[in-house]
Amino acid sequence: MKPKVAFFEFTSCEGCQLTVLDTLQRHPELLEVIEIVQFREAMTERSDDYQIAFIEGSCTRPSDEAKIREIRTQAQIVIAVGACAHLGGINAIRNRMPLDDVREYVYGDKKDWFETYPARPLSAVIKVDAVIPGCPIDRDEFAMAVTHLLQGRMPAIPDYPLCIECKLTENVCMFLRGQTCLGPITRAGCDAICPSCGQGCEGCRGLVPSPNLGSIKDALRERGMTEEQIDARLSLFLTYQTMQMDGVTPA
Amino acid sequence: MTTLLRETLTHSSIYMPTPARIVEVEQFTEVEKWFHLELPSGFTIDHKPGQFVEVSILGIGEAPISICSSPARSNGSFELCVRRVGKLTDALHRLDVGSMIAVRGPFGHGFPIDRFHGKDIIFIAGGLGLAPLRSLITEVLDERGKYGRVALLYGARTPNDFLFPADLAAWADRDDVECHVTVDRPSEGWDGPVGVITTLLPKVKFPARNTVVAIVGPPVMYRFVLDELLAAGIAEGNIWLSFERQMKCGVGKCGHCQMHHIYTCQQGPVLSYAEVKNLEEALS
Amino acid sequence: MKILPKHSLKAWVDRLRATHRVVAPRETYGQYIFEEIENADDLVLDYHTSVLPPKKYLLPPREDLFAFNAKTMEMSPLIEEIQPTVIMALHTCDLHAITLLDKIQGTGHTDQHYQARRRKTTLVSIECLKPCMDHAFCKSMGTLAVPEGFDVHLTDLGDRYAVEIGSEQGEQLIEGLSLFWEPVEADYDRVNQVMAGKWPNFDYRLDCDVTDLPDLLAANQDSALWDEVGDTCLACGQCTKVCPTCYCFDVLDEIDLKLEHGKRIRVWDSCLIEKFAVVAGGHNFRSSQARRLRHRFLRKGKYQYESYGLLGCVGCGRCALSCPAHITPIGLLNTLAERRRPATEEASSQS
Repeated sequence: MKPKVAFFEFTSCEGCQLTVLDTLQRHPELLEVIEIVQFREAMTERSDDYQIAFIEGSCTRPSDEAKIREIRTQAQIVIAVGACAHLGGINAIRNRMPLDDVREYVYGDKKDWFETYPARPLSAVIKVDAVIPGCPIDRDEFAMAVTHLLQGRMPAIPDYPLCIECKLTENVCMFLRGQTCLGPITRAGCDAICPSCGQGCEGCRGLVPSPNLGSIKDALRERGMTEEQIDARLSLFLTYQTMQMDGVTPA
Repeated sequence: MTTLLRETLTHSSIYMPTPARIVEVEQFTEVEKWFHLELPSGFTIDHKPGQFVEVSILGIGEAPISICSSPARSNGSFELCVRRVGKLTDALHRLDVGSMIAVRGPFGHGFPIDRFHGKDIIFIAGGLGLAPLRSLITEVLDERGKYGRVALLYGARTPNDFLFPADLAAWADRDDVECHVTVDRPSEGWDGPVGVITTLLPKVKFPARNTVVAIVGPPVMYRFVLDELLAAGIAEGNIWLSFERQMKCGVGKCGHCQMHHIYTCQQGPVLSYAEVKNLEEALS
Repeated sequence: MKILPKHSLKAWVDRLRATHRVVAPRETYGQYIFEEIENADDLVLDYHTSVLPPKKYLLPPREDLFAFNAKTMEMSPLIEEIQPTVIMALHTCDLHAITLLDKIQGTGHTDQHYQARRRKTTLVSIECLKPCMDHAFCKSMGTLAVPEGFDVHLTDLGDRYAVEIGSEQGEQLIEGLSLFWEPVEADYDRVNQVMAGKWPNFDYRLDCDVTDLPDLLAANQDSALWDEVGDTCLACGQCTKVCPTCYCFDVLDEIDLKLEHGKRIRVWDSCLIEKFAVVAGGHNFRSSQARRLRHRFLRKGKYQYESYGLLGCVGCGRCALSCPAHITPIGLLNTLAERRRPATEEASSQS
């Protein structure tokens, strides 16, 4: 029997779900092997009878937690989809700033009307069985993740650094081109798409298991980046993870 | 009979396995399962005790697993005892009689059994380590007359974790094998010894000279057992250990199993203490 | 020896392209990569090093091992019909590296995939007359001269190339072609002049003799330097990807969504990656970056020499160039040699 699959989103741009739609076009056979029962971005029908939940987006307000827990209760397998669900995403940049300042900056004098708190990945709220990283996710990796789920195992996502893939595609190193890159500390799996297009890695797939942050900062410094620029570079996608490494987790 | 290795075939691949059918299974413990496998007709596994095969499930991957059956009794079939511990073994545990897997091998150097002739033998097994040793024990017992005294020391975590219960009972019944088992944690009804495997060593009163020891167990066990054996005066070259490493190829190419200069899949997995005593990566 | 006038080089390459895939260095972002040339005019013989070494044609970064049907258990080896290939303009360091790979892949269990590609590949190397980049240390490693078993070797004599033929496979590339001339006395003189003139252009950059390397590394397994360098290592693995003698790989299965048709592939792996020596169950037999780094250096400078009689480092300098943390073999080995020196001198004064 085909597994029943549902898609959900929290704070995100929904771009990962667009990528899922794109994947369905590229791999139409996906619909022969899974049954999608809920996918707000793509269909009207909606059922809460599902085994696998793909969740995009980070948790940015207390009231989201209940909904996220509800999904966890229903689903046998919960997969975090994309950088927001996996890492807190760019939503977590604000975690390093006083929350009140952020609210005022965004909502002005209506700041008290809106509920918010520091952004966090799904794993800070519930047990997540696997992640499909990236901003957005990679089409082929989504298809591969489904393949692995159908095989009865959790998606195997690379945990080695991007440099490995970047070299396999024989890109000239961004550092040798005089640019900067987070490839040495970022998980591979995107086929080094940014360096292949001439752009240094921003770290959207998250940190490798044992990142050498001291050494990457030295490398960035050496290429002329100021401390402020380095912090900014490391906070685009990596705020939550780097704060966690410093022992800070938001309340 | 054809062996499984494809190295002589120019247009074949050493990495391509041969199908094998699961003909019998037994769940030993919650995480350990025994498989009896049959090769296509005309094929033989042709292994030595201590050797391993690369086991495949097509689409999932491959993993090295020691053969636990006796070479003499293989006859186109062989046995594996598998702990569920990774993606391949997880998938393998879900398979039942009639399922097809694929195998390559056997690979590596097993126990140098001809060097055991005429000697007293102590088998020391920790947990899953009994699996590769069972191949050797069965071989030794099949030709019992060639060897001196024989003892088996076997430690498991709890009484529920013993593997090969039927074999254990049969060995314990023999009066030409000294069988000692222990558990780390007892459960109700257990009246046997409790403690780590080294507590069993004093029970075997073999002269140090001309005693060979075959040890297979988790890495943490090796250091403690070795200390005791060396203190008891067993010769370094008479202590044989099997090393578990990541092995992607089995043929000395992929690099994963290297301990310093040694390709464990080729020169090992069974090596003597004399060969590895100075290798930090072997006994860390 | 034969002579190829420089103006005939393109004509030769055009002839080769009729029967072979011809690959040669091409410039990109100030670096070079080996690629098939579409036009003989694109040929570059004078280049500094390439990003990936030419080994990629013998051991592709991603290589199919066999195809399978998981339902029927049918399997077919994908030792594909490999196109006959000529690799142009190999530096001698890369040629030495291939000599080592030939030995490794041909020892014990033969890797048929490598052998099949190797049989169809002819190597046209070129004599290096000046250092290709600051990081190269080929002279120290003894790889600045062409090794035995080369196919075709070119030496730039100004307006012509001296062409040495080292194998039957090489012979076939020039056989019957009127582009090649018999040398005259002056050509031999010119070759000797060029060769004699090249050596002073290169420095010995290693502070010990290359034959001392295995002992130097053996004596320094417990050096604090491994921890010091391990602290700066990013574990990005670039050094292993660009290394002409690295051949470790990982094996993966790919299968379609219907769980039927798939392939087993291998992908270049790296011993500097944290998980490289982790067994199922989680134990890591090489648990610190210092140990992983040490393993890489001992493998290159000691283990491979002991196993195959050839050092695993050919001094190409690619790892040094590509390391974002500036870890270089010369820096590391020379520091080991320097730290050992006082102790050695002490020992010799005592004896």
